[in-house]
Amino acid sequence: MKLRLPLLSAAAVLALLTACTPGTGGGGEGDGKSFEFWSFSAINQKLTVDAYQAKHPDVQIKLTEVGTSTETAQSLTTALAGGKVPDLVLIQGDNLPQFVDQPQNFVDLRTLGADDIKGDYLDWVWKQSVAKDGEVLGVPTDVGGMAVAYRTDLFAAAGLPTDREAVSALWPTWDAFIETGKRYKQTTGKAFTDNAATSVFYQAVNQVSEKYYSADRKLVYSTNPQVKAAFDLGIKAATSGITAGQSSFESAWSAGMGQGAYAAVSAPSWMLNSIRSTAPDTKGKWDIAKIPGAAGNWGGSYLAIPKAAKNPQAAWNYIKEMQSPEGQLEHFTRVGALPSTPSVYQDAKLTDGKDPFFSDAPTGKIYTDSLLGLKPFYIGPDSAAIGQEFLDAITNVEQAGGDPATAWDDAVRNIKTAIGE
Amino acid sequence: MTTVTATLTPAPSAALPPPASPRGRGLAERLSPYAYIAPFFVLFGVFGLFPLLFTFYVALFDWNPIGDQVFIGTDNFTRMFADPRFWNAAGNTVSIWALSTVPQLLLALVLAHVLNHARLRFALFFRMSVLVPYITSVAATAVVFAQLFDRDYGLLNWLLGLVGIEPVDFVQSTWGSHVLIATMVTWRWFGYTTLLYLASLQSVPRSVFEAAAIDGAGPWQRFRHITVPSLRPVIIFTVVTSTIGGLQIFTEPLLTGSGLTCGAVRQCQTLTLFLYEQGFGQFEFGYGSAIGVALFVMVVAIAAINFVLSTRIKADR
Repeated sequence: MKLRLPLLSAAAVLALLTACTPGTGGGGEGDGKSFEFWSFSAINQKLTVDAYQAKHPDVQIKLTEVGTSTETAQSLTTALAGGKVPDLVLIQGDNLPQFVDQPQNFVDLRTLGADDIKGDYLDWVWKQSVAKDGEVLGVPTDVGGMAVAYRTDLFAAAGLPTDREAVSALWPTWDAFIETGKRYKQTTGKAFTDNAATSVFYQAVNQVSEKYYSADRKLVYSTNPQVKAAFDLGIKAATSGITAGQSSFESAWSAGMGQGAYAAVSAPSWMLNSIRSTAPDTKGKWDIAKIPGAAGNWGGSYLAIPKAAKNPQAAWNYIKEMQSPEGQLEHFTRVGALPSTPSVYQDAKLTDGKDPFFSDAPTGKIYTDSLLGLKPFYIGPDSAAIGQEFLDAITNVEQAGGDPATAWDDAVRNIKTAIGE
Repeated sequence: MTTVTATLTPAPSAALPPPASPRGRGLAERLSPYAYIAPFFVLFGVFGLFPLLFTFYVALFDWNPIGDQVFIGTDNFTRMFADPRFWNAAGNTVSIWALSTVPQLLLALVLAHVLNHARLRFALFFRMSVLVPYITSVAATAVVFAQLFDRDYGLLNWLLGLVGIEPVDFVQSTWGSHVLIATMVTWRWFGYTTLLYLASLQSVPRSVFEAAAIDGAGPWQRFRHITVPSLRPVIIFTVVTSTIGGLQIFTEPLLTGSGLTCGAVRQCQTLTLFLYEQGFGQFEFGYGSAIGVALFVMVVAIAAINFVLSTRIKADR
């Protein structure tokens, strides 16, 4: 006892020290078949894993649904620092840049044959996981695309059209969207949309040709007129009285959705699943219209293999098979996530798919259309932090009586503090 | 039977070496006391001292857990003192602490006085029941209170609406969120403090109260002139412990606001929440550690004040 405890503690100290040294381990010593997979919860990844295992009974997959996409990225960071990593991990697009910035933590997928399948994917989506020396860190699993989900019953009660073509025609621009909201508010006295920050600003700012960084990867968030214009739209929506002031995914937002406290929500393709699970009783009362403004994208995820993975080859086999155009098309029919492989966009399985929850809206067609003509922009390591500060500034005006006149300057100052510029 | 007695009573002296001078004892015997106390020091070293020292060390770096670690000296501290978010968090922490500690201690004082009353019926039942909030999970408390205080669907705003008061947004407004969090803290801790005061009051002879009553002292006079003075040391103790606890408020604000910033303008972000946001949200380990060091210094300073005050009170007596 006397001797062992100091020894144990010395070992513990050593373990702690090594835990803080990143990038340890070579990997590749596994059996080449079974692998561990970290995904987010609530996106039904299990369905795809089960489908893969049915085809390959000799492969064992240990699927862990870590938490939200942010929590998964945080756990991955901790795991990479500690050296005990999964073989395969799903990373959400907004969290990807911080990992692309440190490519030494991941397997360069070119070594496993990524160059051969590169052509199958949307070029701009693929590029987001390419690191500074050309290393390919992830294969895109899906993209967001954008649209507006709206309540047909509430629209009818407010004297607005309910047909999705006619509704789309109501708002060719964001200004028209806000005007529609005012009309709705006048007739019903109720809020038109959930909030200005995510439903207006976050959509508009994802329709630009250049966002917080320029194409040569310099910070331009404070000087880019496109960002300022999107921000002004957000402030305009926040001060026009058309929002319920409910931040997305919080409990009051969920309660409000079930009770019809707002009639329209901006909905990237993955949001449809949230609406279904948040307000299951509203089935059939929703429909989907076009997003105001131009083409754009919000969201999408990537599969990556950490450098210290035990079974990189088994993980790669999974990626290659399940993220192929056919694999993604099948995934779309199962859970509705929009493929990142344009070759299937004309496939009948995608274009004819109708969603009964949303009044049989052709979701595949609506979302692929919203990606057409998209102008890709560079997303950098601080993009998520910058976006959060802009969101917070708008939320402050909307919900806490902040001064709209100083909101932009406040946001820029907070961003400078947040990213240590 | 003989074996049992043998183990219960010291063995006859013949079995032991004759008592010798300390110099003559075996090495094992001289070291054994240290071995007995070693587990504490080893555990403290591994789980207390080492993380503490390591935090001081990390605070001197720009430390990316999955990238480079660059030595930057005291830059993290310079940045922290210039960071409005740090001062905002410090201000919130003090505000929430004041809003929760003052009512909590006053409430506990009055309750202890009442519970100590000689003719109180079901005294044990009431004494135990004040502890119920304390044993409730913080997370459950936060969830329930957040619903009670909700802007659109909360019970409290519904009641305010009945008397014609506009609904208050307790989460998004600065003072509202502080009141909400302070209410949770008060609710959770008042029972614990009450029992501390009660225990201390029980050591005051009942005859003192009775004598005062016979002399014509009313309840208020007894409270002012007997209860409060006899509780002075324990009041100082609870003020200090609740201050240290107040510096570490974490769960309530985390579950109240939206995420680690606790609202759009960080209106209820406390110091520990700011530390956690920087360390494990942004993964700025160096900067997070610097905030940790600042917190450590504050807690040590308050503990020192406690020491000075309590020795002075002892000296007064």
